[in-house]
Amino acid sequence: MTKGEIIILDDTCKGCALCVEYCPKGCIQISRDKFTRSGALLPEFINPEECVACGTCGNMCPDFAIEVYKFIDESE
Amino acid sequence: MSTSEQKKVLVCGKPELRTGFPSLYCPGCHYGIITRVICEVLEELKLGGKAIGFAGVGCSFGGAPISIGIDWASCPHGRAPAMASAAKRIHPDALVFTLQGDGDLGAIGLGCFLSAVLRNENLTTIFLNNAGYGQTGGQLAPTTLTGMKTTTTQQGRRREDGFPFHGAELAAYHKAVAYSARVTVHTPGNFKKAKRVLTTAFQKQMSGAGYSFVEFISACPSVWGMSPVDSVAYIQEHMLKEFPLGEFKNIDSIYD
Repeated sequence: MTKGEIIILDDTCKGCALCVEYCPKGCIQISRDKFTRSGALLPEFINPEECVACGTCGNMCPDFAIEVYKFIDESE
Repeated sequence: MSTSEQKKVLVCGKPELRTGFPSLYCPGCHYGIITRVICEVLEELKLGGKAIGFAGVGCSFGGAPISIGIDWASCPHGRAPAMASAAKRIHPDALVFTLQGDGDLGAIGLGCFLSAVLRNENLTTIFLNNAGYGQTGGQLAPTTLTGMKTTTTQQGRRREDGFPFHGAELAAYHKAVAYSARVTVHTPGNFKKAKRVLTTAFQKQMSGAGYSFVEFISACPSVWGMSPVDSVAYIQEHMLKEFPLGEFKNIDSIYD
């Protein structure tokens, strides 16, 4: 199974929580103690084992604040 | 499986055409997603260096020209098709498109838009429909749904005040229009469909088929007074009933 990782850019995120709504694997949730510059709560990546690098969160982010990475095995 | 043998590859990030300037839109505004659709389609068609955008007045003007790294002109209110017509006649090889909101195209610029259609201009119009005037504070727009509350219709828009404006159907009715479609970006599947539709619209212009028109249904959480997640549900339940999705016209040439 493909593994992935996302990086949420704190300085451009506005905390709209659309990524939480759209992630099909439930890997993102709104944090309780981290804030954006405008005072909204930041999302955080909570479930790295489940992420399959589908890129949905990155595509649907209105502020281009999510970078999605895929792990590729180089041994083959 | 050791991590030392693995390589990290970026599968989704900022498109190359997107400038580094932070977005000026409100949190959860779908105009940001539409910005990504435009950037990715221009990159896939390799038209980034040949594209000229004309932004009308409104939120479409507020974010797109600084967000997308192509040539832009900001137009007087509603006059984007007129300025785009001039640019297309001077540069026939360029991809010329207008980016207009519902107040810009549906209210003050309706005459200018229809004049451009009636002159058989070979342009693409991207119509952003968010059912309200976003930039000026949420007044009634031509596309406001019946029963929807705005700052100028506190009890909801009555049927006696008029029915919503349907841009894609109006464009499809005219002979000079080669392509007309309505899309939305409120789900990942519809995001992919929107990219395909916008690709077709740009290709129609580059092949000289005729006017192409794409209407984007978009959420405006600030004006609607909802959370971004609730406004996605509102699009699914209410907006799509009034504004059906799909292609309304798709022909290869208007002169056949």
